[in-house]
Amino acid sequence: MIKIWSMKKNEDAAAKKKPKTSAAQIRVQKDLTELDLPSTMKTNFPNPEDLLNFELTITPDDGMYKGGEFLFTFTINSNYPHDPPKVKCVPKIYHPNLDLEGNVCLNILREDWKPVLNLNAVMVGLQYLFLEPNADDPLNKEAAKDLRENRSRFAQNVRTSMRGGYVGDEVYADVRPKA
Amino acid sequence: MKITINNYHAIALWRWNLKAGLQQHQPANAQPTAEGEEEEEEEDDDDDDDVCGICRVAYDGCCPDCKTPGDECPLIWGECTHVFHMHCIIKWLDTESSKQQCPMDRRPWVTAGAAAPPPDAPPAPRQAARVA
Repeated sequence: MIKIWSMKKNEDAAAKKKPKTSAAQIRVQKDLTELDLPSTMKTNFPNPEDLLNFELTITPDDGMYKGGEFLFTFTINSNYPHDPPKVKCVPKIYHPNLDLEGNVCLNILREDWKPVLNLNAVMVGLQYLFLEPNADDPLNKEAAKDLRENRSRFAQNVRTSMRGGYVGDEVYADVRPKA
Repeated sequence: MKITINNYHAIALWRWNLKAGLQQHQPANAQPTAEGEEEEEEEDDDDDDDVCGICRVAYDGCCPDCKTPGDECPLIWGECTHVFHMHCIIKWLDTESSKQQCPMDRRPWVTAGAAAPPPDAPPAPRQAARVA
């Protein structure tokens, strides 16, 4: 018995010495090891020490956004998984569920987030937006209107925008893969 | 033949009895289990069932805010049969976005058997002794 208690004390002392890994970091670490991404998605860690800030590139292999390369940043705060990750699209793109600042309208990033979801679910959700853009609850109202009223015109606009062209008054980013 | 035992180490191990928790709180769905026969049957088909869905740490471990598992970081059952570290689900239910729902099924969270067992009688942590 005595031995056990002294062991516990040593453990406590050791725990104090180690720089504390936050709960969010532990959880993110687990999420990352469980990632099971299709070949259309790649993560990138600009600072490999920092698991809470990273990038995701989606290159849809189907749908209207095929041929584009879409970079997202993930910012995870210390309250993860109680708070959802903050996700932004870096290039300015023409999409009903993204605004011109790159904010994303995806239910599981907002009102439907729950802590049993993980990063894999968010990433798969993001990719789904490119396969099935939806006109309900839009962030880019013009794009949503086009999609609702004339799907083929919307598809044409997507192609124009992905080349860095204008749709209406807005010029969008060229998202064709470099090199 | 004569065997002389010079030395032995006794090792005790415990784990939360997840089934006991369900039995206690969910008599309708639970299979009554006789005390002795559950020794080997607890091998789970799915490892994921043994971790808290919120922090993804084993039930027998503790939530990320605690240092030692056991009574200091107990489990809690919902009437929906979902189990979490108590600290994890409380933290979630304290957030506005939880809408007081179970994070697994979005049903309103109701702690099962609201008359919680007294702190000195946790849901039957299992004791087993082994000679090494």
